[in-house]
Amino acid sequence: MTTYIERFPAEARVIRSTFFTAFIALGIGALFGLLQVLHRTDVHRLVDSADYYHILTIHGVLLALTFTIFFLAGVFTWGLTTSLDRGVVDVRFTWAWYGLMVGGTALAAIPMFGGLIDGIDMSAGVLFTFYAPLQAHPLFYLGLALFIIGTWLAGADWIWTYLAWRRENPDERIPLPTFMVLTTTLFWYLSSLGVAIAVVVFLLPWSLGLLEQVNPLLTRTLFWYFGHPVVYFWLMPTYMLWYVLLPKVAGGKLFSDPLARVVFVLFLLLSTPTGIHHQYLDPGIAEGFKFIAMTNTMFLLLPSLLTAFTVVASVEHGARQRGGTGYLGWLGALPWRDPVFTGMALAGLMFAAAGFSGMVNAGMNINYLVHNTFWIVGHFHLTVGTAVALTFMAVTYWLLPQITGKPIWSRSVGLAQVVTWFVGMTLMSNAMHRGGLSGVPRRTAEPQYENFDFTPAFGTMAELDAGVVIGGSLLFLSAVLFLGNVFVSLTGGKDLTSIPENAYAEALSGAEDGPLILDNLKLWLVIAVLLVVLTYALPIGAIIDRGGLLGPGGSPYPLVVESGRAISIGLGEVVA
Amino acid sequence: MTEELHREIGHDEYNPVGTLVLIALYFLVLLLLWLFVYFIEFLGRDLTVVGVVI
Amino acid sequence: MNIHAYEKLWLAASLVLIVLFIGSVTYGAVGAGIAMVDDAEGVIDPDALDEDDRFADPRVEEVGENEYEVYVVAGQFFFDPGTFEPIEVPEHSQVTFYVTSPDVIHSFSIPGTNANTMVIPGEVASMTVEVGDPQEYGIVCNEFCGGGHHDMEGEFHVVPEDEFTLEADE
Repeated sequence: MTTYIERFPAEARVIRSTFFTAFIALGIGALFGLLQVLHRTDVHRLVDSADYYHILTIHGVLLALTFTIFFLAGVFTWGLTTSLDRGVVDVRFTWAWYGLMVGGTALAAIPMFGGLIDGIDMSAGVLFTFYAPLQAHPLFYLGLALFIIGTWLAGADWIWTYLAWRRENPDERIPLPTFMVLTTTLFWYLSSLGVAIAVVVFLLPWSLGLLEQVNPLLTRTLFWYFGHPVVYFWLMPTYMLWYVLLPKVAGGKLFSDPLARVVFVLFLLLSTPTGIHHQYLDPGIAEGFKFIAMTNTMFLLLPSLLTAFTVVASVEHGARQRGGTGYLGWLGALPWRDPVFTGMALAGLMFAAAGFSGMVNAGMNINYLVHNTFWIVGHFHLTVGTAVALTFMAVTYWLLPQITGKPIWSRSVGLAQVVTWFVGMTLMSNAMHRGGLSGVPRRTAEPQYENFDFTPAFGTMAELDAGVVIGGSLLFLSAVLFLGNVFVSLTGGKDLTSIPENAYAEALSGAEDGPLILDNLKLWLVIAVLLVVLTYALPIGAIIDRGGLLGPGGSPYPLVVESGRAISIGLGEVVA
Repeated sequence: MTEELHREIGHDEYNPVGTLVLIALYFLVLLLLWLFVYFIEFLGRDLTVVGVVI
Repeated sequence: MNIHAYEKLWLAASLVLIVLFIGSVTYGAVGAGIAMVDDAEGVIDPDALDEDDRFADPRVEEVGENEYEVYVVAGQFFFDPGTFEPIEVPEHSQVTFYVTSPDVIHSFSIPGTNANTMVIPGEVASMTVEVGDPQEYGIVCNEFCGGGHHDMEGEFHVVPEDEFTLEADE
């Protein structure tokens, strides 16, 4: 019986830091989420509606980027070192990427919070997508760039450690968790290049006044080149935990290791050439390019659908080993009192529901129905907001003892916490999806209009608002229970004997059953790059050809910028 | 977890029949929801964007 | 590599779903005639909309029998026409919206219908719809466009034939 902290004390310290950073982001993000549901539904408006968008920017960035990526960096470091049974090559390098990510986040946070504080002449009220010509303070873009570079160094750390292991073990198959870390890292490099170019080449120089203008369609397209694959950057560590940890806590084995590899190879190949499906309703992009993006996106359903089967079959294996019988009776034999299991299982169930709204989002012309409506918000609160976030919280109840040596304060509170999240999200996302179908827009402080009302097909707007408020409040309560449980656990003493061994699920059909070519990551990377070039070269070429690299004209907004630059007031502000 | 193990089930003796049942239900749900949302909610609406060829 | 028979079955079912989805969308495009907002229109300088004969004077224009074109400027935080006065077209006509932006990214969306497009400065979104019986619709911007985003709304009225007059004829 060895816990992670005994085997890898230095790495455990870094992972603790990534987790704690993630949890701070989670706390602030959850609080701002509560403010938003109260504001939108007009239950209570604490801030001015114009400031709602600063709250929304912080909520989006802190939860979608900071919470998820810091946590997954910890999870990947855990999975890699555990499965290679080897520490990182040089832990100082590990601290360096962590430091760079923290530094980037802190820089970006200054203008994001500055927008909320009177007297601070900096803002970044541009939301998570920062579409030009909306302009943020340069610190926002600089911080974002440093954060992305930090994640690149993290990827380099994992690859470096893997290569060191490879020299020591020339003939072994890549262990499954490491395989998952590496494939994810490769498509992350490929896809985050898009946002890096958008930020470093265009938006940062533009915010500094070095560029007069940018091409809004081009920077938007570069954003979505990264903006869709980033969801797989959050989702792949979640899948990894479903593949390697969930079967173990269910008392079973992974159904098939080779199929898990196939799934991750498919994500490496198909994650990136899909981003244009976020731009189905954009003028300036030909319908043919949109159709190609749809085909790629639809085939990307395949690895997720395969995952559904493999993971459920692995859990069923556990149930049957625990004595479960029958077609569905085996479900009762699962360890539902364990927050680690129940949290992950409920997260997976929610993800199945998200699968449906995602299929609608993937469809090209049906996008007229749902584009930029509340439906989309309902969708991604099921994916990143539950499949990912709830899995991460549930897994904390397993991983936190591994990296601290301290048992969880209360597993019952943990169980209540994951169930509360599930109930809250069911209420909230159901209302969001239905509101979206009746045309309620996303991203607005006051979805109440003077000249028209929304008419839901079933129920009333008041009922949908109630779903959002009650659901959102339960989610906030759940986040408080989670953070409280973590905090009290940390104040307790170490008790290594009560903590299970640091290990992950074995496979019923192991790596040896899979063809060697699956592990040929260079080959898959080359094909992935080719697919990206095939899908993106023509649309990006056409956008540049139409509007020019820097666009056909236009000015940044807001036009009032910090001292040292000309202060101009444009048409927009006159009208407003 | 191991202490709760009732029996060890190996690869060849395991048929995930429960998974098959669940996933078949999921397939049906997806199919019906898609048909509803695409053909009734979407195609049944006003102001559908059409090509200019008339 | 041995794949369990059930999983092969599921793989086949998954492919059926994917083909069904792509097939439905293709039917929507070819059978139901739904066109995507695309690159049909050329680019435009957002700072020089007043030099463009469509957007210098945003308006409704009759271009054929029962065929109307509507030129709309979507800016912070208005639709012109739409916000200051409703966009009016006669019942049972074919209406093409041309929408562009002088400032940031917006959308032009009619809630409860399938008329929904992004509006990107430098680009002109064009969208043709067929309107039926008289009805009053709202117009909303569903892309965040700045601090007054939630105030950006307008009206689109489909009016009876005998109540319809073009601004130019008044």
